[in-house]
Amino acid sequence: MSICRKPLARRTVLRGLGTAVALPLLEAMLPTARAAETSARPKRLQVFYTPNGMIMQSWRPAAAGAGFPLSPTLAPLAPFKQRLTVISGLAHSKAVGPGGHGSTCPAFLTGATARPTEGADLLCGPSMDQVVAAHLAQATPLASLELGIDPPSLLGSCDINYSCTYTNTLSWRSPTVAVPVTVNPRDVFERLFGDGQRLDEQGRALQARRRRSILDFVREDASQLAARVGTEDRRKLDQYLESVRDIERRIQAAGGRSSADAGDFAPPAGIPDSFDEHAGLMIDLSVLAMQADMTRVGTFMLGRELSNRSYPEVGVADAHHMLSHHGGDPEKIARLVRINTLHMTYLARLLERLSTVREGEGTLLDSTMVLGGCAFGEPNDHDALDLPILLAGGGVPGDRHLVVPKLTPMANLMLAMMQALGVEAQSFGDSTGPLSGVMA
Amino acid sequence: MQTLATLSRHRMGMLLAPFLSMVGGSGRLQRHRAGVSRAAVVVAACLLSAPAAAGDTTSPHSGAAHDSLQLIDSYCTGCHDDEYLSGGLSFTGIDTTEPGEGRNLDTWERILRMTRGGQMPPRDSEQPATDQRGKFTAWLEGSLDAHAVAHPDPGRATLRRLNRGEYANAVRDLLALEVDVRDLLPADDSGYGFDNIADLLAVSTTLMDRYLTVAGRISRLAVGRTPPDPRVTSYVVPKDGSIMNQGIPSWDERASDALPLDSRGGAAFAFYAPHDATYEISGWLNANTNNEVDRLPENRVSLRVRLDAGPHSIGVTFRRQLRLDESVQVHRNDIDYVPMPTRVAEPLQLLFVVDGRSVGETDVPSYHMSPRYSQANWPRDVLQIDVAGPYAVEDAGDTPSRRNIFACRPKSAGAETACARRIISTLARRAWRRPVAAADVAPLMRVYELARRDGGFEAGIEAAIEALLVSPQFLFLVEQSPPGAKPGAVHALRGEELASRLALFLWSSLPDDELLALAAQGRLDEPQVLASQVARMLADARAQALTDNFAGQWLYLRNLEHHRPDVFLYPQFNSRLRSAMRRETELFFASMVRENRSVLEFIDADYTFLNEPLAEHYGIDGVKGPAFRRVQLQPGSGRGGLLGQASILTVTSYGNHTSVVKRGQWILANLLAAPPPPPPPDVPALKARIDGRTLSAREQLELHRADAACASCHDKIDPLGYALEGYDAIGAMRSSDGDQPLDLTATLADGTQFQGLAGLQQVLLDRRDEFTRAFTERLMTYALGRGLTAADMPAVRAIARAAAADGYRIQGVILGIVNSVPFSMRKVPGT
Repeated sequence: MSICRKPLARRTVLRGLGTAVALPLLEAMLPTARAAETSARPKRLQVFYTPNGMIMQSWRPAAAGAGFPLSPTLAPLAPFKQRLTVISGLAHSKAVGPGGHGSTCPAFLTGATARPTEGADLLCGPSMDQVVAAHLAQATPLASLELGIDPPSLLGSCDINYSCTYTNTLSWRSPTVAVPVTVNPRDVFERLFGDGQRLDEQGRALQARRRRSILDFVREDASQLAARVGTEDRRKLDQYLESVRDIERRIQAAGGRSSADAGDFAPPAGIPDSFDEHAGLMIDLSVLAMQADMTRVGTFMLGRELSNRSYPEVGVADAHHMLSHHGGDPEKIARLVRINTLHMTYLARLLERLSTVREGEGTLLDSTMVLGGCAFGEPNDHDALDLPILLAGGGVPGDRHLVVPKLTPMANLMLAMMQALGVEAQSFGDSTGPLSGVMA
Repeated sequence: MQTLATLSRHRMGMLLAPFLSMVGGSGRLQRHRAGVSRAAVVVAACLLSAPAAAGDTTSPHSGAAHDSLQLIDSYCTGCHDDEYLSGGLSFTGIDTTEPGEGRNLDTWERILRMTRGGQMPPRDSEQPATDQRGKFTAWLEGSLDAHAVAHPDPGRATLRRLNRGEYANAVRDLLALEVDVRDLLPADDSGYGFDNIADLLAVSTTLMDRYLTVAGRISRLAVGRTPPDPRVTSYVVPKDGSIMNQGIPSWDERASDALPLDSRGGAAFAFYAPHDATYEISGWLNANTNNEVDRLPENRVSLRVRLDAGPHSIGVTFRRQLRLDESVQVHRNDIDYVPMPTRVAEPLQLLFVVDGRSVGETDVPSYHMSPRYSQANWPRDVLQIDVAGPYAVEDAGDTPSRRNIFACRPKSAGAETACARRIISTLARRAWRRPVAAADVAPLMRVYELARRDGGFEAGIEAAIEALLVSPQFLFLVEQSPPGAKPGAVHALRGEELASRLALFLWSSLPDDELLALAAQGRLDEPQVLASQVARMLADARAQALTDNFAGQWLYLRNLEHHRPDVFLYPQFNSRLRSAMRRETELFFASMVRENRSVLEFIDADYTFLNEPLAEHYGIDGVKGPAFRRVQLQPGSGRGGLLGQASILTVTSYGNHTSVVKRGQWILANLLAAPPPPPPPDVPALKARIDGRTLSAREQLELHRADAACASCHDKIDPLGYALEGYDAIGAMRSSDGDQPLDLTATLADGTQFQGLAGLQQVLLDRRDEFTRAFTERLMTYALGRGLTAADMPAVRAIARAAAADGYRIQGVILGIVNSVPFSMRKVPGT
């Protein structure tokens, strides 16, 4: 019976290889059919979100246009400047509300006004990622993947008058249904690769056979039952049968897989001790999910809105949210900039991972549109009328700083992105038309 | 008409007994329906030797109907005619044979409710004499009830799917495996106040997908062929916190019944160990930040222990000091300076607790100052408990679920099929809630065979279990029509079908072997057997489901989790108080069922369950310690019954003020089954000030009610809420509302005056039969899994009458529901 107080060796015991991902091994998994689909049009979407706003004076590049100078906060993205478009001037005018965080966070991907309530009567709007996911749904086993770092908030630490749901997630399947965020890498792993079992080729084949036999069984069972019940009940059973068939269709479309091969990627036991490890792991899993074509739509919240995490790794011992109300104190602003810049290193990591995965003639980054940003800009005022936004990757002409007229709805950008991804929509949220000049 | 002939004699006797006194003899029936049911009524009359002699009438048919027509003409058709069409109803040319013949039941039930309750004719119209009204309602009720006897209508029953909670309980009872499905399955939609309503329980692709995933996970865990990879299960201790840092996360008292008596703080949670193995328990302690995401490695303590497979309670806590020695400063959030402790950290004894016993201890410092930004110092406490494992697993061995599943073990390859068939048949019988034949099990055996070929005997069993858990016969409650039955025909449920409904009603789970065996033998048809089974089920631990699911929703206890009182006005409302409020009501309801008390005690019980924080909240002395115990209430305590309980008083308030309307409306809807209609869309806000003077809540509402259209509903709603104004928005007693004095008097629409909780209790007791009917309606909705219709009202009335004759006891109501036509019979669906 030993009692330990130091960080344990459990990390090594539990996770084995940790974050090292043998990406080249997985490349072989890409069926050739998919490679043939590769075209100039982007077909994936990844959203990268950081909380508590951005110090705009350090974010905004000093000049507009092509070949713009990188700002201090954007410095970590230097290797990807050629793939990057920074957009200044976008706004979420609909994000007005008594709460700075509770109203702006749900508006980020929806362009809608959230109803101030702490009860169950939430009301927002459908989010862009979910609209795209619905459009691409049949092609992949998972419609979308919503990842995060901070666990959903407990009671009491959310914005006044706004339910914690509003700040726990960015994605809304419908105006009333929020999509929760997964923070435990273990859960993500299981969703992607089956119940945490390390299955080899044979193991997966076995599992697929079993799944098929079970689906056959339930279909037969339900049909027999349907013959014995009345019309109304038959309708219910039809719902059931339709769902089973839908799942079989999905598995078929996904090349007969209901889960993918994790290769050498060891199943994580849980949430890693350090923020860096945790964030790195979630980024790796996002990329893995895209690579294995388990999904084509992902969002990642590097922190929950209102996050109070401190960042000793860049010398900031203060809690992020408290610090973000800097009141003009230059010391505090400087610390905030350090946090913002640190966050950008993770975006760089995401781009780097995407760019190392080959896909046909190009890389995963070529076919993935990455949207980075925050729910508001200047944190002291929760200013959602001047948002820090950037686009990278597929379909985005890089090395540009686009300055749009003040108060241009961010929804216009989202509409343009949705259209580029093949969604036939003419409007979204509070859009006035697709933002021109932003896509290639 | 074959319907009544298929009833067992006993069942029919049970149905008819309470009606015979009301039917007023078969004279009326003779005239108005087909011959067969007359024979049935006569048979029943003989069976029971009740003094319902043919021709005896308390109100002769033609006479009573004629008088009723007269009454309607005199007092109702003034407004309810083709021209004015008040309330959308016209009684011009109304046909008084309708209630007895089951036509326009909705309208006639509505008329009965309105006239009996005195709501119609309206106050300011001419009123019939009391005995006239009485004769009318007696005639109407009698006609409606007689029709129901002659033409039993169990209502529509659609295919009902197990909801999330029922699924989890079914897995627990089928496989001896405790699984928290809340993370695995999506929440179900609610209707009529409950989440077990058949019509709303649909199956979507998402849900099907989850069922498949969950079935795989559960079957693997249950069979336990291969130990799962080590994983970490985390339990985050519920804490209070707010962006203004008002919370105090630790108290100097025992935090849970699962922790030692001499402990303070920390927490314990339920953990299911999948295998006999070594597990590592870690506690994350708080440091001097209030950052809820901070888990500093230097504040983690761990211990490795060996656990047997199965459910355990795992806890981390501190040994209680005689004096709380930790130096602590508690500050409001202040981002400009850091409070420093004044003393060096002292050692505290921390305990690791498994199943209530300490299995290890260590010393930790009484506070931890980290170089990080600090906002306040709290007493040392546990933020999160992790259990990691299994490590060093011994071989598959024994787990409760394996013992449960493997009723036999094949001694040779040749014996495998027979053993598999035995295991699978047993599980299928329990899962499908009916006897199974070889043909039923054959498809499952095919699944077994395929998987056995790939992976062996246990793999085959695992696959069969997985298939069982997604099979429609498990997920849905299947009820069959007798062969050759015509649509609309009414028949008794088969024994197993009744057993299934019973188990869902009382246990939210599967029927157990005893119930299934009795059902297979046909013995659930016998009233004594059925009654004793109901009693057995209510005494069983599984009946906790009735408290959790019925009371949890009827009394809005689930809303308590999401309710947010204003942290500034009510800083004393913390997670400890919240859970105590809920516990009080849960224990109270459970005691009512277990002790078979009168449902009227929901109104005016003289006891409740308290612990120290709640007793303090109520201002009641003499209750010490965090454990709950029964407390006899003194007169004048201001408590007693549901309406004195903080849980209900809190969920019927807003975050920062009470609501007369919300409370009144809650009482009308949940205690009197008379929910007022929703407000019209253009209701103006209450005027808060007049001529510079702030109005009291009462004055504001009175202004509102000056408009007759508003008064029509508010005259019913507001008086009930006024009486409870002595309790603030979190249920504590108060003597003033801010700077406004309190006025607890109230006047009902009929002029009755009363005051305070005691007055309100008396008002409700004066309407005890209405209350009993309302309670029966709620419980019946839950039991049937559908909303009630006019056709169900006679059954509700019969049950309430029988209960009244038996001291209003709650088990009588429950048994009445079980024996009622809607619950025990079924109508063949149309086409």
